[in-house]
Parts: sequence; C-alpha cells; structure tokens
Amino acid sequence: MRRLRTWFSRLGAGFGRRRREGELSAEMESHLQLHIEDNLRSGMTPSEARRQALLKLGGLEQTKEDYRERRGLPLLEAWWRDFHFASRVLRKNPGFTCVVVFTLALGIGATTAIFSVLESQLWRPLPFLDSERLVDVHVVLRKNPRQWDVITNSVCRAWAEQNHTLSSLGAYNFPLSRNLTAGGRSERVRVMPLTSSTFKTLDVPLERGRTFLPEEETAGRDHVAILSHEVWQTRFASDTNVIGKALTIDGELYVVVGIASPRLRFEYLPEPALFVPLVPDPAAKVMRGIYMIGRLGPGVSVEGARADLDSILQRQLQAEGAKQEDLAGVSNLRVTWTEYSARPLYFFAGAILLVLLIACVNNAGLLLARGLARQREFALRATLGASRSNLIRQSSAESLLLSVAGGTAGTMLGIWGSGVFGGFWSEDTLPRHTEISLDGRVLLFVLGASIFSALLMGILPALFSSRVDLNETLRKGASGLSAGRSQHRTRNLLVAVEVCLALVLLFGAGLFLSSFIREKQAPRGFDAPGALTFRISLRGENYAQPDQQKRYFRSLTDQIRSLPRVQEVTLGTGIPLDGSQLFASLNVAGHPPRNEHGTGVIVYSVEPNFLQALHIQLLAGRGLDPRDTETAPRVALINRNAAHTLFGSEDPVGKVLEYVADKRRDVPAKAPVQVVGVTENTQEFGPSEVAFDVIYVPFSQNPDQGASIVVSSNLPRGALLGAIRDAAYSLDKDQPLYDVKTLDQLIGESLRGSQFDLILVGCLAAVALALVSVGIFGTVAYFVQQRTQEFGIRLALGATPGHVLREAISGAYTMGLVGLAFGVAVALALGRILGSALYLVPHEHSGMLFGVKIYDATSMTVACIVLLVVLFLAGFVPARRAMRVDPMVALRYE
Amino acid sequence: MGDKPADKKDVWQGTLALMVLKTLQSMGPLHGYGIARRIEQTSGDLLLVNYGTLYPALLRLEQEGYVSSEWGFSDNNRKAKYYKLTRAGRKQLNKEEREWEQTTAILARFLAPGEERS
Repeated sequence: MRRLRTWFSRLGAGFGRRRREGELSAEMESHLQLHIEDNLRSGMTPSEARRQALLKLGGLEQTKEDYRERRGLPLLEAWWRDFHFASRVLRKNPGFTCVVVFTLALGIGATTAIFSVLESQLWRPLPFLDSERLVDVHVVLRKNPRQWDVITNSVCRAWAEQNHTLSSLGAYNFPLSRNLTAGGRSERVRVMPLTSSTFKTLDVPLERGRTFLPEEETAGRDHVAILSHEVWQTRFASDTNVIGKALTIDGELYVVVGIASPRLRFEYLPEPALFVPLVPDPAAKVMRGIYMIGRLGPGVSVEGARADLDSILQRQLQAEGAKQEDLAGVSNLRVTWTEYSARPLYFFAGAILLVLLIACVNNAGLLLARGLARQREFALRATLGASRSNLIRQSSAESLLLSVAGGTAGTMLGIWGSGVFGGFWSEDTLPRHTEISLDGRVLLFVLGASIFSALLMGILPALFSSRVDLNETLRKGASGLSAGRSQHRTRNLLVAVEVCLALVLLFGAGLFLSSFIREKQAPRGFDAPGALTFRISLRGENYAQPDQQKRYFRSLTDQIRSLPRVQEVTLGTGIPLDGSQLFASLNVAGHPPRNEHGTGVIVYSVEPNFLQALHIQLLAGRGLDPRDTETAPRVALINRNAAHTLFGSEDPVGKVLEYVADKRRDVPAKAPVQVVGVTENTQEFGPSEVAFDVIYVPFSQNPDQGASIVVSSNLPRGALLGAIRDAAYSLDKDQPLYDVKTLDQLIGESLRGSQFDLILVGCLAAVALALVSVGIFGTVAYFVQQRTQEFGIRLALGATPGHVLREAISGAYTMGLVGLAFGVAVALALGRILGSALYLVPHEHSGMLFGVKIYDATSMTVACIVLLVVLFLAGFVPARRAMRVDPMVALRYE
Repeated sequence: MGDKPADKKDVWQGTLALMVLKTLQSMGPLHGYGIARRIEQTSGDLLLVNYGTLYPALLRLEQEGYVSSEWGFSDNNRKAKYYKLTRAGRKQLNKEEREWEQTTAILARFLAPGEERS
C-alpha cells in the first residue's frame, strides 16, 4: 500500500517539476543559511563558515541529483528529456533528417511491397482447407518430364478406381467462354465442366442445393448447372428461388441445381460463372483439356502418390498395348500454378533488395559520419558527468525517432506500393487473382530490422566515444585529423560500394530500355490504324452447320460494310495478337514427314480481303480472292517462316500440303490444300517469340463458329460500336459481341508486360542514382567541413584554389571510380549467372529481355557515363566550398 | 563519484528513516538542518557524514506519508521547511521500535553466554 502511494507520488512528480525544483533549491539554501549562522555563532569567519557548511552538506549537485532520482521516475523522465532534445537536434539538421528518414522509408516501403507481392502470388496457400495437401495430377513424357501429355479416359477411370494414396480425386476442364442467356439477357461467361468429386476434393461444400448426381455425369443427362456464388449475387440478385429454374447455355437448356460456396475460387484460372458436369465423350478416346486434382491421403507424400499413380498408369498402358512413353506426375497444386511467374518476381525482388542495400549503406555512412562528428560533444558531456548509459540513451533516442519516422513513412509507402503493383499488373501477367495485401509478418520483420540497424548505427559512435580518452578528444578540437583518416577511408569505401551497386542497376535499366525499344520497333507484319476489332462465337443448334455459320457471318459483314463511313470490314477465325489462333499439323505431300506428328502451324481461316485490310504483305504468288469458293479447289497461303520450314529453298507455290490426323485427340484430317501464295511474317503473340509457321485458308472453304471481325472506319468509336451492335442484334440477339478492342489497344497489350518491367527497373535505377548522389554529396561535404581549418591555412600559405579543390575531391572520386570498375565487373558477372535464367538469347520464348545481349555495350556505356556525370556533380558542388574558404574565418574556426 | 552499493544504501536509508522519525517524535516539528544536527548529536557524530543524504530520506518519508512538510519561519526569522510526524508516521515508528526490540532480544539470547547443560 505504501509502495503504491510512493509510486503515485513519484509519477505525479513529473508534473509541476519547475515548482519543485525551485522548492528544493530554496530548501538547500535555507539549510546552508542555518548552518552558516551556527558556524558564525561558534566563532568562524564568514568565509570559513560558508565553506564548512558546504563541505558538511556534501556535493550540492549530487544531493540534488539523488533527491531528483528519488522524486520522479528518473528513467522515464530521462527518456522524455532525451526525446525532446533529440527532436530539437533533428529539426535543426533538416537535410540530414530528411535524407535518413526518406532512405529508411524507401527501404522499408519497397521491401514490404515486393514481399507482399511475392507472398500473395507465390507463397500464400490456396483458399481451400488444408490446401497444401492438394496436388495436381497429370501425365508427362518420359523423355521430357517438363512436358505434359494428354490423359486418356481409361487412365482417368483407372486412377479414380484403383488409387489408394489419394483420399479423393477430381477433374475439371479449363473454363471456356460460352453464351449464357437468362432472363432475356445474353452475355459471355466462363463455364467450367467438373466432376462432383472435385467439390469433395477441394472440401468446399455447396452453399445451397446439391452437386451432380452420378447419372448426371453421363452424356445426354448432363444439362444441369451450379451457379458460382458471385454470379448468383450479381446476375440473379441472390434469389433463393433460382434453384430449379432453367437457363440457356449456347442455346441449350440447363437446370440450376445448386449454388456454390463463395470459397470456391480458382485463383489461377479465369473465374468460372457456372459449373456443369464433366462428361467424357463416349466416342472420344481422350478427355479434352482435362486437369486433375487430388487430395493426398493422411500420411501420404507427394512421391508416394506419384509412385502409386504411375504403377496404375503403366499397368493400364500395358493392358491397352500402347507405347509406354508416359509417366505419372504429381506436384503441389499451388507451386505448379505459380511456377511460371516465380522467376520474374524473384528477379524484381532481387533488384529491389539491391536498392535497399544502397539505402542501408547510405544511411550507415550518414549516421556514422554524424556520430563521429559529435565525438567531441560526447566527450564534453562525459566530462560533465554523463554516464555511458546516458550517452547511449541519448543517441538511441535520436535513432529511435528517425526509425519511427522512417518506419511510419515506409509503412504508408509499402501499402501504397502493393496497391500500385496490384493495379498495374493485369490479369494476364499475374498468375493468381488474389488481393495483394500488406503482409503483416513481412512488415513487422522489416520494421524491426531497420530499427535495429538504425539503433546500431546510432549507438556505435556513443559506445566508441565513451572509451576514447576524453582528454585526447577535447584537445584535438574539431578537426581530429589523425583518427579522421581511417574514418574517411570507411566513408569512401561505402561510397565505392554504393557506386558499384548503382551501376548494376543502371546497367539493368539500360538493358530493359534497349529491350523495350526493340520490341516496340519490331516489325509486326500487319497494321490497320484506328481499326476496331471484336469477336463473335456462334452457339446453339442454329449454327451447327458450316453453311449456317457462313451465312451469318456473310450477312453480318455485309451489314457492317453498308454502314456509313465504314471503309473496310474483314473477318478471320483469329487475327494476330488477339490470342484466338487455331492450330493444325501439316505435312508436305509427296515428301517424307518431318516427324510423326507433322509440322505444327497456326491456321487463320479468313475472308479474301483479309490481307489487304490488315496490310499484310504478299511476297509471292497470289492472295486469296472471291473465286476460292467452297466448290473451287482448296487453296492456302503460307507465311515466310512456313515456306522455309516446309520447303526450305524450294518454291512453295503450287505444292500441296496434307493435314495430319491427330489420332490421340481424335481429330480427323481435313482435305489437302494447294499453296498459291506466300505472305510476310506477322507477330502472333507478341514481339519476343519464336518464329511461327502460319497458313491462311479461305473462310468459305473452312468456316468456323468463331470469328474475329476488323472494322476500319473514321466514325468515333462509340457510334461505330453502337451501330455494329445494332446490326448484330438485328441478325440474332443471342450472339453477343465480346473482346471489343481497337487494334492499337491490341498492340499495346502485347507490349504491356515489357513496359511494366521497364518502368519498374527504371524507377529503381533512378532511386539508386538519387541515393548515390546524396551519398557522395554528403561524404565530400563532411570531408570539406572537417578540414576547413586545414584548407584555410593552405590557402593562406599560398595554395591555389584549384589545388585545394583537387585535394577535397580526390578521395571521393578515386573511390567512385573504383566502385564503377567493380560495378562493371559485377554487372557482367551477374549477367552471366542470370543469363540463362532470364533467357537473354534473342527470340527465345518467354524471356524478359528481347534482342539484347548480356554484354550490351551501349547500355553499359550509357550507364557508366550517367553515373560518372552524377559522381562529378555530386562531388563538385560541395567541394567548391573548399575553394571559397576565407582563410581568416577558417583559422578561427573551431 | 563514490556511489554506495545499492543494498547497503537501502539498509542505511532504512536506519536513517527510523532515526528521523524518532527525532521528530522527541523534538516535535523540525527543519532539515535541525534534524541532521540532532541525529549527529544523538549518535555521537558517528553516523551522519553528509547532511545531504538526509534529504532524499526525508522525501521518501514524505512520499510514504509518514511525515508532512510545511514552510515556516525559524527562530531567527529565516524561512525553512519544517517536517512533522503524521499519525501514520507515529504508528510506523511504534511498529519499528517494537521490531527492533524483538530483534535485539533474540540476538541477545543468541549471543549471550549459553546456559551450560551441565
């Protein structure tokens, strides 16, 4: 009880401190007076009386100090005092404070942002129960285990029936776009066929209704559907009566039987709106485009499951008499689907860490320099009675304030940064459609690390100074030359390290810039300035026949052509860059086949004016024209790559190409075609790609239910689109337009990935450059300030300003150049190490850089020049001050 | 600066506090200097080396509520801070006196020439 009272009293003593100080002084004074009077009475002289009184009291300050310690909570008060003082000190040095806080914030923010992205994209578990037990089950080629092969119906069934390592197995198809008509409205949505066992495997029970019954998973009885939670909310307004109602998918009636849980999300696929039963086509041998997922049984490892499934697979292949060229593959689901994106993400994480490193080095140097500059101050305070812990506490207060400020700014930067990342990277580039949220653990770790390092940098000088001989330090004065030399060496070394890292980043930025410019200028082979494109996929029994398809598209294009101010309309099953290319395999008639599967080509089935409308150049022979009707001989055009691949240096015009039947996938061969012309190459998927072989066939001979239509017109886009929609609806309102884009948008999208890469690396390089200049500026400025006295003396003794200037900068410049040299070496070495990982070879598929070598001389030269200029300026400006020193001022300067 | 080790200081402070309370009980309200002189006299100039050490002790007693303080005037009309024993202080003094007597009685029995068994 007493203790509580004491404690409260001490706490309360924090307030009204000044009054109590005054009281204490008064009491001490009164004590002394009383004692002095007594002494006088006993006969001492006044001076002796006072002296004796003081002696008897003991050290006045010490008494006061002891009293104060008793009175308040000294530790708390001390910290409060130190923070107050620290904030004043920091405010008086705004340049230093801003730089340190900014650097810290940058480091924390950038690191947090990138790790948040990494976490959300790569490491975060899928949103299913025990998701790390989910595996992707597939078949790979024995001779190339990285290549997936098809899963046949029989194998699928065998696995489902015979395995005993997976507690459940499910199968699904890639969600394809279909026309959904419900409540009078049509739109295109993604429909995903899957087995009801998939729900069980993912352990996501339906919210309402039921999954598919076994009889519904057979052909003919499969017209039931389950709505995704999202589409139920948005499209059907969460109407609970929707179960049992009918809707139309591609012209066929389906009955809704259930509503999926909101937890059912396939983050690595386009989100499906509807789920229908996965039904094997009894006539077909293979499941088309099937993916299988399984849940590992208790205690089963991935390898164990794989071995089990593999033995079943081999047994099945043997029983069917098929060649055993496949192996079973089982891998963690999350890893499988994020693998593709992992590499570039890690690359950017590495680049950001480089910037972080520069920032840390910068900060370390700044804090170190400042700490050293204040050694004299520390020595003085130690002399006046500050204990070591006092000094350490003081510097910690400053470092803590800096860390808190930097940390707060960094957190905000991190939040903003992750948002920006998420917004910029589109659906196509990021593998997972998860929210890039700030990962708390990363943030905490980074904050902790930076506070720790800031404290370390702040405390070290205080630790050192308290050991230093106080006398020495005080006598040395402000210059402290001899000890200064090693300090300057350290500082300069830090500069060298910064310059080295900055060069690596600049070089990287240069490479990306080169790459991007090359991509932009890469010949596309086609163009239609200002044209609008869109797609239509005809669904339903009205369009099952080729004639019906042709009739529809002919009417549509005729109608659009008759619109006012429309110059050109053309049509094809796809257009370059729009991602809807078709594929086929060909052999040259009369020649031995190049390999047993034929040569893979892209097929465009197009209208006769396709080449002109898209300005695709014709190199030889003739283009397609209206005389290539369905009754005329079957013809085709091939592009330059195909001519080279199939015919070498022979003239392809007039030769015949045969289609190859795909026995595994049960695709029959089409009738052979005769080559009538050769076109120039076009970019199919983007600038950085392997060379593709393409053939163009007449749409009248090869109709399809899906087509891309290109319209060139000088109508404003809105009006044009409206008119086109009206034309399409007048023909059939159940066939919606989709993927409406201008051609420029299409081209822009193909460049978007590299554009983002460039911006990111460019920003990092710019930040690195800024940090380096600050670092060099600081080093030289500090150096000059320390040696002002010396420079003043030299100038007074007759040294030329130029000489002094050279003296001032030489240290920093030398180290800068050393750093540059190291930077070049490191950059080239890194390029070599990462080269294969980044696919820097030109035209190699899925690379980050296009058409530049890792030893790109231009980028390196430009990077070096930029850095040298920055080095020069950053050092020169503060060094000029050395020249301008007034000798008289310098000599008096302490 | 010659700090006493912590535990010794606490013991010393405790003893000093007791002496202060006793002084105030026998002398009535007194200022700091007066208390110091009185303790010095009573203990025969052995204990109080530094008058300064008194003041933190006085503060502690005030914080614990055993004494109260008030500014007043000395005989020579000098302004001084007078300390007075509170009721709680009186009780504490009695308690501590009894405890001391008990302790010394036990010790006395312990240290006295033992009654031989024989």
